[in-house]
Amino acid sequence: MAVESKIPAAARGARPQWLENVLGQLLALTIALVIALVAGALIIIAYGESPFAVYGAIVEFAVTDDGPGYVLAIATPLIFSALALAVCFKAGLFNIGVEGQYLFAMVPATWAALELDFLPGPIHVPVILIAAMLGGMFWAAIPGVLKTTTGAHEVVTTIMLNGIAVSFLSWALNNPLRFTESSAGTNVDLRSDRFADTALVGDMGQLFGFRPSAHLSWLFPLAIVAAVLVWFLIKRMRLGYEARAVGSSPGSAQAGGIGIGTVQVKLFLISGALAGLVGMQQLLADKGYLPQNYQAQLGFTGIAVAFLGQNNAIGIIFAAILWGALSRGESALQIRTDVPREFVIILQGILILAVVIVYQIAKRRLARRQLQRAGAEEQELEDTSGPPAEVVLAEGER
Amino acid sequence: MTTDTGAERTAPPLVVLEHITKRFPGVVANDDVSLELRPGEVHALVGENGAGKSTMMRVLYGMYPADAGRILVRGNEVNISSPRVAIANGIGMVHQHFVLVDPFTVTENVILGDEGRHILDIDAAHERVGELAERYGFSVRPSAVVEDLSVGEEQRVEILKALYRGVDILILDEPTAVLTPGEAKDLFANLRSLRADGKSIVFISHKLDEVLEIADRITVLRRGKVVGETTPAQTSKAKLAEMMVGRPVLFRLEKPDVERGEAVLRIDGLLGEGTLNGISLEVHAGEIVGIAGVEGNGQRELAETIIGLRHPAQGSVVLNGTDITGWSVKDIRNHGVAYIPEDRHEQGLVLDMTLWENIALGRHDDAGFSGGPGVMLIRKIKSLADRLIRKFDVRARSIAVTAGTLSGGNQQKLILARELDSDPKLLIAAQPTRGLDVGAIEFVWRQILEQKAAGRAVLLISAELDEIYALSDRILTLYEGRITGEYAPDAEPEEIGVGMLGGDGAITEEAS
Amino acid sequence: MDLTDLGAAIGIAFTYFTIIYLTGLGGLFSERSGIVNIGLEGLMIIGTVTGSFGTHFFTTELGWGLPWGPVMGLAFGALCGLIFSSVHALATITFRVDHIVSGVVINLVAVGLARFLSQIFFGQATQSDPGQPHLNTIDVPLLSDLPGGLGRAFENLSPAVFVAVLMVFPVTFALYRTRWGLRLRSTGENPEATRSLGVRVAPLRWQGVLLSGLLAGLSGAFLSVEVQYNWREGQTLGLGFISLAALILSNWNPVRLMGAAALFGFAQAVPLRLSDAPIISALPPQFIRMTPYVVTIVAIAGFVGRVRPPAAAGRAYEGAGTS
Repeated sequence: MAVESKIPAAARGARPQWLENVLGQLLALTIALVIALVAGALIIIAYGESPFAVYGAIVEFAVTDDGPGYVLAIATPLIFSALALAVCFKAGLFNIGVEGQYLFAMVPATWAALELDFLPGPIHVPVILIAAMLGGMFWAAIPGVLKTTTGAHEVVTTIMLNGIAVSFLSWALNNPLRFTESSAGTNVDLRSDRFADTALVGDMGQLFGFRPSAHLSWLFPLAIVAAVLVWFLIKRMRLGYEARAVGSSPGSAQAGGIGIGTVQVKLFLISGALAGLVGMQQLLADKGYLPQNYQAQLGFTGIAVAFLGQNNAIGIIFAAILWGALSRGESALQIRTDVPREFVIILQGILILAVVIVYQIAKRRLARRQLQRAGAEEQELEDTSGPPAEVVLAEGER
Repeated sequence: MTTDTGAERTAPPLVVLEHITKRFPGVVANDDVSLELRPGEVHALVGENGAGKSTMMRVLYGMYPADAGRILVRGNEVNISSPRVAIANGIGMVHQHFVLVDPFTVTENVILGDEGRHILDIDAAHERVGELAERYGFSVRPSAVVEDLSVGEEQRVEILKALYRGVDILILDEPTAVLTPGEAKDLFANLRSLRADGKSIVFISHKLDEVLEIADRITVLRRGKVVGETTPAQTSKAKLAEMMVGRPVLFRLEKPDVERGEAVLRIDGLLGEGTLNGISLEVHAGEIVGIAGVEGNGQRELAETIIGLRHPAQGSVVLNGTDITGWSVKDIRNHGVAYIPEDRHEQGLVLDMTLWENIALGRHDDAGFSGGPGVMLIRKIKSLADRLIRKFDVRARSIAVTAGTLSGGNQQKLILARELDSDPKLLIAAQPTRGLDVGAIEFVWRQILEQKAAGRAVLLISAELDEIYALSDRILTLYEGRITGEYAPDAEPEEIGVGMLGGDGAITEEAS
Repeated sequence: MDLTDLGAAIGIAFTYFTIIYLTGLGGLFSERSGIVNIGLEGLMIIGTVTGSFGTHFFTTELGWGLPWGPVMGLAFGALCGLIFSSVHALATITFRVDHIVSGVVINLVAVGLARFLSQIFFGQATQSDPGQPHLNTIDVPLLSDLPGGLGRAFENLSPAVFVAVLMVFPVTFALYRTRWGLRLRSTGENPEATRSLGVRVAPLRWQGVLLSGLLAGLSGAFLSVEVQYNWREGQTLGLGFISLAALILSNWNPVRLMGAAALFGFAQAVPLRLSDAPIISALPPQFIRMTPYVVTIVAIAGFVGRVRPPAAAGRAYEGAGTS
């Protein structure tokens, strides 16, 4: 069979599908952003303030002075968290247990920070990070294994594991990790002992002249590296390829020799490792100890960021920074305006709702267009291809 | 209507579809089609897959709005905007895929949407449904839960749903596709009693024997157009088939003359999950073995067991002398088995992925595509894809488009390209031309014959007897998970039919 | 034998039962109609803040006093839960956004929205003034006189507890004995079947989701108005997720949900009142709080019987928008 294809070579030069997808997504994001800003403007006006002034203050706080330091520091854990979600999502797994995984992982990480303080500085921090990753992997392995062995849906199991992790962390904080050092005051909040200096991640913000209170640490570049690695994993590595196949068509993947269960468990492990790093910014850069009023919800916020970045590793970096800039805006509102700082959370909420809805609509339209065009194309190609070959065709008998 | 025979024009038509056109993105599913349905007749609507039969009836049932044309019911023009309106006009439809609520009882399924008062009276409803079932000889218990029923019983529930609403026009979409021959016989008895009661039935099918058996009149569709109307008395299977595909069918390709070699595949006493009841067979190098049979008799399970998607409870699969029973799909593929699955969307392609990514599926961990530990060498895969897509004449804008944007024929070519390029020892081709147009069918057939010419072993599983005849060197019939007969390719269809229905097709000794 | 502690624990369990059962019923209506709702926690949060405000507003500002002030507060919380749940309905039914994504967003937004509303209502972001008016409590006649301290279980109960307990009758009747219930359940199992019989799917699903908002909002309002007498940030403490767990364990059945809610409610009460009891004293209280989640994982993994969600729950239904 050596029929040469009659596709004109020129057709290959047309705008590639991926570029179209990216442009479509950017457009959708812009629309969502406009919707959110307009809706926010209405609220601002209700408060008798000027939307331009308020939005201006948010932008100003994000880009001037120490602003970028704060923004990137807020973005750091969100990048890890969103990546953890995205890795699983590629294979059609919804790991909403990132929340529980990072909370759980703070326990071994805190332990490593406190107990392994004999390690020299350059080794201590990596060991803590590894302990955190292992903790996250362990907690993420449970839904992965349950899914492949019993079919238990990961959404349900991870929700439950989130609840368990909260209690476990509370137990750890009350027992093995409870502070031992004599406290200065009488009424100290429950927390762990302070970590040795070797356990702290160095401040990076000073390099750019940001105040140390911004807490921009070397974890941020680590998050960027993680994003690039995830991108590479998804686009260039076999596991990523298998994950995407499993996510889009489990049956075809299986018939192609891909072990679905193995892929799912591997992805849960990678996701858990990333999730384990979510809590490190607050442990090793912000606080230097495990507090009782630790920052929760980072796992869930990561879901919002992942969808804002369309589950694309690189998109997630920008989404996290956008999210961080908005969060930083809380201070702007407090200092500059009469609009309560909680306005920002509302704005973020509207933004993420607008994003998921607009993306959903855009996805449908794009799919329909491509289908339509494929149909049209087929007609065209059929027309130019002439009558079907009838060389060997013998008329039937019987 | 074009070929009306005056004599039958006794009663005025119950339903008239006039010049209906229905377009979908990129496709004209119905192109100016018209149809008349008379009281008390079984009207068959025949055509190939994708000819537009179901679309036409869904328009009538209010599921799709027509882009042009009009519908008259009992002489009045009606705008059937939803199934509810259709039902109000006395039109009911039983879909090919049943739409039943599994955990509900038969009664609950039947009364849903037409329950009467706000507060349910289940006992009275049971009684009404029971009476209705009895009247038409449907044996089904009103209080039974649907998920416990057989397929045939579920179909009866579907018909009851329509009858409960007092319809006198019943549309059945490929009703026998899911039935065993025995169940199909029961269905026909039910249909005759409905007709005797004055109901009109539209019977959508592409199985010509059934159509000739049950229909009073037959309308043939081809590529979205009505190509003619006839009656069983005026036509024959061959004539109908010609109308359906637009030219005389049963074309035959020349089978290459190849020396039969060693046994490549040897299956012995395969048992599994009630669907495989002790299958034994052999396929030799340079040989195409056709498995004929009514679908649902273990075809799918057989193919999936050989490729490793299922593991048998008992028995063995031996490939080139190596026992591969219980191996993983990956190992079996690496050992030289290629697989054209019966459902190309479920088991063949990842529709959201690009053509080159689909080409890689199943061989994505070949050493040749590896660029370091765990890393794929995409450039190499793309150049392979480029080559294969030309070689197999896959019509696409580029290898970077997603497989979902291709037509069925091109999707199947893509699968062939991938599976055949790996130089397999054994090819399993399950329903390889399902849903394809004639041109694509011919292409696929030629490719399969070429495998034989290259000395490979081919196991062909097909529900289309024509296909089995056109390609096979030996024909085996499969019935209820057992091989019930072996035939030479020149055996009479009637003989093979006996085997397909489980009767003791005398096993003719080796005829090759 | 002194069973005062046990009695007290059961009394507290009644309170938790009420919260879990009401929210669980909300989830039940939503999921039975085919819309997965993991936003129950968020809906409850809205109920807590608005219920607290409503009570304050009707009792003090409008001077309606008891019992109408708190009753209106509860109703206001339920109404606001319903309004907020329309976001989930709009996203999942009208725009066919993934149910889980929408639910997560609901939970995220609720936290911020509650602070925002609190700022407006109370002038502070994280709580209202403590000691707000509430309904007079009730002692159950006869039962509250049980000997050995067991009577404690039936003393000082909010009237809302009885409403929750009695709720099982109308809910079961509505689901299994009415036309509406039959249709609602059918959309959760097979919306194609529903639509093919001429019943529109989208309105039924909207009703299911809005009911979940109403009940979760009521439940949240009960927590802030009738249990804690003020609003505090984070007071739901994951009870929305525990309700979800109870719903799963109940196999989406309103009668079995009572059992699951009672079990989980009791698990919440144990560390508070029975921490000195044998065996329990040896267990850290945090481990007892984990039990609802552990039990649910065990159930969903099929180690003890199978739970089976409504077949169509979580799947976007293409026809919903057009029919």
